[in-house]
Amino acid sequence: MILEAKKVSYFYKSQKDKWILQDVDAVFDCGKLYAILGASGSGKTTFLSLLAGLDVPVKGEICYDGRPVSANGLKEHRKSHISLVFQSYNLIDYLNPKENVRLGGKKDPQKLLSSIGIGEEFWNRNVMHLSGGQQQRVAIARALASDAKVLLADEPTGNLDETTAQEVISLLKRIAHEEGKCVIVVTHSKEMAEEADQVLHMETMKAP
Amino acid sequence: MNSIQRAWRSVIRKPVKSFLLFLTVFVISLFLTAGLASKSASVKTQDTARQAVGAGFRLDCNETNRSRRMEEISKKIGEGKEGSLEGVHQKKMETAYGTQWVGWTDNSFDSLKLPDIEKLAAVEGISDYNITTCATVVHPVNFNRIEDPDNDQTRDLGGVTLLGNRKMELDTQVLSGNVTIEEGRMVTAGDEDVCVISKELAGQKGLKVGDVLEFNDYHDPEQSPIYEARIIGIYGTKQFMSPLMGGDTFRSENVIFTDLGFPEKPQGSEGEPCYEHAYFQVEDVKQYDTVKKAMEETDIDWERYDFIDRNGDFATMSSNFNELEKISGLFILVTFFAGFILLCLIFLFWVRSRSRESGILISLGFGKGSVLGQILLEAVLIAALAFLASFAAGPGVSKAFAGYLVNQQEEQAEIQKNMDADKVAKDFEESEQTVTGVEVSVTKEMLALCGAGTGLLVTISVGMAGIVILRKKPMEILSE
Repeated sequence: MILEAKKVSYFYKSQKDKWILQDVDAVFDCGKLYAILGASGSGKTTFLSLLAGLDVPVKGEICYDGRPVSANGLKEHRKSHISLVFQSYNLIDYLNPKENVRLGGKKDPQKLLSSIGIGEEFWNRNVMHLSGGQQQRVAIARALASDAKVLLADEPTGNLDETTAQEVISLLKRIAHEEGKCVIVVTHSKEMAEEADQVLHMETMKAP
Repeated sequence: MNSIQRAWRSVIRKPVKSFLLFLTVFVISLFLTAGLASKSASVKTQDTARQAVGAGFRLDCNETNRSRRMEEISKKIGEGKEGSLEGVHQKKMETAYGTQWVGWTDNSFDSLKLPDIEKLAAVEGISDYNITTCATVVHPVNFNRIEDPDNDQTRDLGGVTLLGNRKMELDTQVLSGNVTIEEGRMVTAGDEDVCVISKELAGQKGLKVGDVLEFNDYHDPEQSPIYEARIIGIYGTKQFMSPLMGGDTFRSENVIFTDLGFPEKPQGSEGEPCYEHAYFQVEDVKQYDTVKKAMEETDIDWERYDFIDRNGDFATMSSNFNELEKISGLFILVTFFAGFILLCLIFLFWVRSRSRESGILISLGFGKGSVLGQILLEAVLIAALAFLASFAAGPGVSKAFAGYLVNQQEEQAEIQKNMDADKVAKDFEESEQTVTGVEVSVTKEMLALCGAGTGLLVTISVGMAGIVILRKKPMEILSE
């Protein structure tokens, strides 16, 4: 067990009377691809953000390797324990693919880019001039640049066509199985859910 | 990849954003430099002007003391008694309305004391001095004065005004530039029985240099002795000297400058001169304060006198350039605050438009400090370039700016001068205030001050704008 959510509850400060998450429990292991499903507004992205250490739960706690993530600080958690992939890629527009990957960690960006199918001719281009699929690959390469054991992805195939989405799914699956990482994907995609080792439904994780 | 590497790439690869900030900081920096330079220039111009105009002191009779002395002497003569003492006279007159007491003073009472003047003139640092007599009314014997035919002359004294000077070139009217010689020369020390008349009088009455004018006591024009003064010069005025009181006796064209000893003769008080002003010229204006102190320590009866710095010209001139200094200071202040607001808005826009980028970096484990540090570094990089560019443009723009402000002040002074065109002749007149050039230099101190000011503005602005990032949670930043 690398990551665990213990009775996690959360509401936004602007809507204190509306619980987004209530007493959510979940356990995640390395070497597996998890798909978190749920209707819009069910709190999938919020849950992923809490796992990523972008905020702290109102109640309950997130533990990494058995220890609360707040123990060493959320910044350290974000830097060393997890890496994030977003639906809208979230690449820095004034950095080229190599530089974007270098932001993620110390691993060789060229090797990482090659390993996920980004050819050398694209390495020094403006990231905004790459296709959606290429941009998402660069984002994944950036996530892999760190030694983090957990990769969190928020709708990674949401903006991609079917073929490219399938490639990204395979890539994430390979990362989980071959590199032994814990890959947690928030998705609406049935294809993704089918490929996942474990599917979690927000509705079932939440207390009634 | 550290903050510096990210900042450099952002500056280089987002040229429009960088250029806009460059331009803003460049203008702010340039304005600050120009403001500082013109402030300094105004001070330098003041000094130059002061040197050019010269500096001195004027000695006048103190009116309060005069009244007190008159009262004391009158008491000594005795209430209800006729008599004369120390230049004060009391006389009983029988009129149709009954007995009336008349009191008056003569030159011996009113005049500045010559020994006192000579003591002050001997102070080290005084290069020259002048004595000007009271405006003395005398009767013109062999020429006619200029008269306005529309004026009722029944209450006029029917004379002309004599102004005696030891050295005419140091007369207040001459020093102020209002009176200039058009023909002949001015009265100098040692001259006797000479005069300088107005060009109007010369023109209308057919008088010329070399002619001899005759004067006598206007109280008794038929019987009093006649004194002659040879015309040695003809003067012109920029503005007519305003009359001391109504009537053609005192009109500007009828004012005749003479040597110091002449007016008392036709007035009928030879040997009893009436000295109204004394002017002491300071040799080196840099020693002005030292000389002033030495003069004030001179042993004379100071209660009798008013000791006035210069004759008012410099004060007026100085005030104009003080205004310039104030305007420059205000300009710096306005630039600083306007720059601050502008930079705050720019960085607020920067930070808000880059909230996604900030969120990405934070999600990658970069601290908020690192994200803000990058923005600050970018700002500092661009500001440094803009600042360097403003160094190059600074001197030229500063000179133009300072020149503009000085011109404005000169115009203002000119307007004021025109408004004051008919002030009383015995008051000071505005001096010639032509500033031929403004010496503007951008010094290292100015650049350091400007650099520090600009740097402070940029840092505070980034800090203020950075509050947007600092007070938000990473999730909130990313969700934007």
